[in-house]
Amino acid sequence: MAEPLLAIKNLKTYFISKDAEVRAVDGIDIEVQPRQVVCIVGESGCGKSMTSLSIMRLVPKPKGKIVDGEIWFNGRDLLKLSEDEMTDVRGNEISMIFQEPMTALNPVLTIGEQITEVLLRHRKLTKRQALAKAIEMLQFVGVPRASEIVHEYPHQLSGGMRQRVMIAMAMVCEPKLLIADEPTTALDVTIQAQVLELMKKMREDFDTSIILITHDLGVVADMADHVVVMYAGQVVESTDADSLFAEPTHPYTKGLLASIPSLEEEKDVLYSIPGTVPDAAAFPQGCRFADRCPIAQPSCREKMPELREVKPGHFVRCDLV
Amino acid sequence: MGTYVVRRVLGMIPMVFLITVFVFLIMHAAPGNAFDAIMNPAIKDIEQLKEQLEHNAGLDQPLWWQYVHWLGLFVTGNWGFSFTHHVPVTDLVGPAIRNTLILGILAEVLTIAVGVPFGILQARNPYGKFDYTSNIVLFCLYSVPFFVFAIFMIYFFAIDLQWFPAQGSTGTGPNAGTLGDHLYHALLPALSLAVVNSTVYSRYTRGSMLDVARKDYVRTARAKGLEEGRVFTKHVFRNGMIPIVTQFGLDFGNMVGGLIITEGIFQYQGMGQLVIDAVNGRDYNVIMATTVLIAIGVLIGNLLADILYAVVDPRIRYD
Repeated sequence: MAEPLLAIKNLKTYFISKDAEVRAVDGIDIEVQPRQVVCIVGESGCGKSMTSLSIMRLVPKPKGKIVDGEIWFNGRDLLKLSEDEMTDVRGNEISMIFQEPMTALNPVLTIGEQITEVLLRHRKLTKRQALAKAIEMLQFVGVPRASEIVHEYPHQLSGGMRQRVMIAMAMVCEPKLLIADEPTTALDVTIQAQVLELMKKMREDFDTSIILITHDLGVVADMADHVVVMYAGQVVESTDADSLFAEPTHPYTKGLLASIPSLEEEKDVLYSIPGTVPDAAAFPQGCRFADRCPIAQPSCREKMPELREVKPGHFVRCDLV
Repeated sequence: MGTYVVRRVLGMIPMVFLITVFVFLIMHAAPGNAFDAIMNPAIKDIEQLKEQLEHNAGLDQPLWWQYVHWLGLFVTGNWGFSFTHHVPVTDLVGPAIRNTLILGILAEVLTIAVGVPFGILQARNPYGKFDYTSNIVLFCLYSVPFFVFAIFMIYFFAIDLQWFPAQGSTGTGPNAGTLGDHLYHALLPALSLAVVNSTVYSRYTRGSMLDVARKDYVRTARAKGLEEGRVFTKHVFRNGMIPIVTQFGLDFGNMVGGLIITEGIFQYQGMGQLVIDAVNGRDYNVIMATTVLIAIGVLIGNLLADILYAVVDPRIRYD
């Protein structure tokens, strides 16, 4: 396989305050190949958003801190770049779209100002050229009346349109990597499908790799080449999308897949994994899923299982499978 | 926007009308009138003279008639004579408005020029050393009534150091009447108003900037690769100023109250001084003219703040 575009190695992002150390991301390894769509799946608080913010080096300061690890992107360790060098990467080589398109756009600036801002930062263009490029990009992502929309404000657009604007803004410098943090969660189902289609088109046309963060397994099935399942700040399973759905191996992944309602079965109560995610400030010593795991053994609580390769390219953090 | 302004201006007319009725009634409810104040009690036949003067001024007419008479003249531009100064009211209010505007604008500019940057500096490093120490200092300043502050200012800067005049709105030297001299005289009273007011602005600014700094769109701005300085000026500052503009609008009313007292302390010949003198001398025509002008001033100020509000926040549209 070719050199990965992005390789995260043993990344640890902690939130450190006086009386607690919250280990939001606790030693994860993820690789993204060129043109690949990698989905990071997991429930709220498992560290998937913090992983993406760590790649961008936008972890909330001053409490959040990347304490260890390497993030290799295009032959450079992003964690070793200066803040100035990092601003050249953001929005240009790696860009990001967020969950809530209403709050992620600045309410007092026009759409045009917000898109041209990226171009003027990273490309040597005049304002007029930048605006033309912004309109072109908006048309590309399927925004109607693009030449009028650039003079409008975010509150004048619908949720789906705003997310398209976000995508146009993120893609306008043709980045090599797009990180999408639950881009469809705030949208209704038909718009969701359109936005996902659009992201696929982006990959086709710009050869962009995508990290898609989601808790929606339907989205994963639709989009992913490779899936990383996260639980309590760690990767618990990592494999290609087909084998994840065909043979989920980690008990947590099995639980997630079992929670999907199916049309064939008549059930009164949907399956859910019992219990809750352990407190990230006080993780147990052994396997973090042990308290909720249907097959847990006493040995699970003593020693943290390693992520091991059960089949070529299929990694699982469980000693029992 | 145009129709909105016209509608608001038309809406001011009944408002000002009601204010005049109210002030007219209160004014006449106060005991005595202008002639009690200006007549020498030793004059022979004082009662007869007083009756004569009151008759000439129309004060023996029923109250409603006096009001209608005043209103009729007022709207046609005839604001009457001052009983105590013996000059047309218009001659008195002209320079007074000018002086008060100089003082008020200077005070407001100083307030914002001090308060807003302070708040921004505090928000840059919240709960840091500068934030804590400046907060303690500002809180102490806020706790001092501005008129007490004004007296200290006079003591130190006018009497002790002799840097500024202790009173008046312009001097007598070769510079008398120039804008520079007016500003020089207005600086001390403006400062005494501004220092206390700016503490309020710094708190508002600090809170607002910190609030905006946490917003998602600021994270988006960083994710675009903008430098911190640009993130601040274009994204944090512009949004953070919206509540400050609201505060600015509310300030017009407070400012008038502060100006009246400050002008009194500094013997500054502005509207405030004129109002106090007129009320003390029961100088009816001057009271009415100054009250109407101040009311219109406050209403226009509020309108300006509303317009400014729409300028800084595109989500607000008046149509």
